[in-house]
Amino acid sequence: MSTPPLAKFILARPWLLKIVRPIANWHANAAGYRQLGLKIDDLTMEENEIVQLALKRLPPKEAYDRVFRLRRAMQLSVSHQLLPKEQWTKPEEDELYLDKYIKEIEEEMKEREDLEAMVITKRKANAKEGQ
Amino acid sequence: MFASRSACRGASRAVRHPVQRRGLAAPASGSFQYQSGEAKGVKFASRDHASPTTTLALVSKAGTRFQPLPGLTEGLEKFAFRSTDRRSTLRIVRESELLGAELRAYHTRENLVLEAKFLRDDLPYFVELLGEVAASTQFKTHVYNEEVVPLIHLAHQKFLANPAEMAVNSVHSIAFHRGLGTPTASSSTIPYTKYLDTETIEYFSKLAYAKPNFAIVANGAEDGQLSNWVNQFFDNVPATVEAGATLGGLEPSKYHGGEERIAHASGNAYVIGFAGSSSFTGKFYKREIAVLGSLLGGQSSVKWSPGFSLLAQAKASPSTHVKTSSAIYSDAGLLYTVITGSANNVATTAEAAVKAIQKVAAGQITKEDFQKAKAAAKFKELEYGQDQSAGIVLTGNGLITGNKAYQIDEVAKAVDGVTEQSVKAAAKTLLESKASVSAVGDLFVLPYAEDIGLKV
Repeated sequence: MSTPPLAKFILARPWLLKIVRPIANWHANAAGYRQLGLKIDDLTMEENEIVQLALKRLPPKEAYDRVFRLRRAMQLSVSHQLLPKEQWTKPEEDELYLDKYIKEIEEEMKEREDLEAMVITKRKANAKEGQ
Repeated sequence: MFASRSACRGASRAVRHPVQRRGLAAPASGSFQYQSGEAKGVKFASRDHASPTTTLALVSKAGTRFQPLPGLTEGLEKFAFRSTDRRSTLRIVRESELLGAELRAYHTRENLVLEAKFLRDDLPYFVELLGEVAASTQFKTHVYNEEVVPLIHLAHQKFLANPAEMAVNSVHSIAFHRGLGTPTASSSTIPYTKYLDTETIEYFSKLAYAKPNFAIVANGAEDGQLSNWVNQFFDNVPATVEAGATLGGLEPSKYHGGEERIAHASGNAYVIGFAGSSSFTGKFYKREIAVLGSLLGGQSSVKWSPGFSLLAQAKASPSTHVKTSSAIYSDAGLLYTVITGSANNVATTAEAAVKAIQKVAAGQITKEDFQKAKAAAKFKELEYGQDQSAGIVLTGNGLITGNKAYQIDEVAKAVDGVTEQSVKAAAKTLLESKASVSAVGDLFVLPYAEDIGLKV
């Protein structure tokens, strides 16, 4: 749901990033969502609890804008049209607005699972007392 | 990996630093006396009695009296022990559970209290935790929406369902108007979430947890150790209050008096209040008020008897509950009697209560009754002193406002010096001054203050 692991691998290596970035930009433009005025996080699959919760946590303005973009894109798709070129999502506007919320929730869940699986060892001082 | 390294990081710190250990049977070094001190600008007081547990509290001058906007105290209270920069809410809870501790946050009219009770050895962990909560709690919007607001709504519901609580809050607002009169619970009279959002609460936290505005109080901790840990863990809280930022309700409290009547379907409460005594640490301390309070009383301290107190004898039926309390604040106080029960009984008892005060003012009480009241007042004070958590709020408040701990022994001594004459005089002044009266419930039956012979 959040950034795929491959992205992390590439981001950690500047030389690789240099090679991959032009390809990534070409791909993002070719994917076609920018032409419908969408942002990358509008494509995140939302039919699961984590993303649903993340959507709830969006600030009201961002949530409103998201719905607006989705409805506009739907309308365009139905009428087989693209937005006029000046209204396309610009690369610098195409940000991950939802990703940080999803990551936060995933971290929370992971922490909960880790704590559930915790093994408790008695403190040395107390262990002695018990004998 | 998780278990051994990070989950018990705080806990293992307690082991690394050798902490003085003391069993149950070891002799007590301390008494009721608090030792107070200051570490890097943080005031603290501790009382070391031989108990295996410690109660540690951060008492902040951020009660409802001092909130600049309605609801802030409650908002900040519900944000206590939530995610900080270092740990999540869940981790704080789990770690405290592992150490067998109890965390609590509550507020009074003048103070916001973050309290932890734990085994004596864990002192460093919890001093660190309080320091962390004060300095680096994250005020996130979704936490506010998902966790804080529902709790505030619940507190609001609970408040609305309790006529006695409503009456006590109403009598305070009559007596002190703003400041001390601000209701402790979110009442329906103010739009209680209108002024709340995470930024405002965060701003308020910078005021509430600034070094001059809070004190650390511990029961059952050694002074030297507490001072050592406080020294280490409170570096990140703001050292001073930002210029221009002020708490509300700082002007000295003024007593007004008056009457308020609120219709309520689920019960009856009648509160008669008079200007009382400030806390022992404050300037307007009147020791005879405590004795007058226990003389009027209303609740029995022995079984199978209504008790000796005047109001217990005067109440209309055994099912009518009467309680006189002397609420003490830093610069004012309120002596008030709460009467709850069925409407007719409450009305009769209210009348009898005023008659009882008139009797005291006229000096028509027996010597024995007076002696009993004095003994009861003293006992209450000392018994209060043995209680683990007692005096924490009072001491914290005393440290913040006047740099003076609430010494229970001294208060008890002060009660000894009260004479019959002074109690009589106190009762007389009460009747001559304006009363604060609040009636909640069946307003058709509950009397007006003037009808029962009070000046409002």
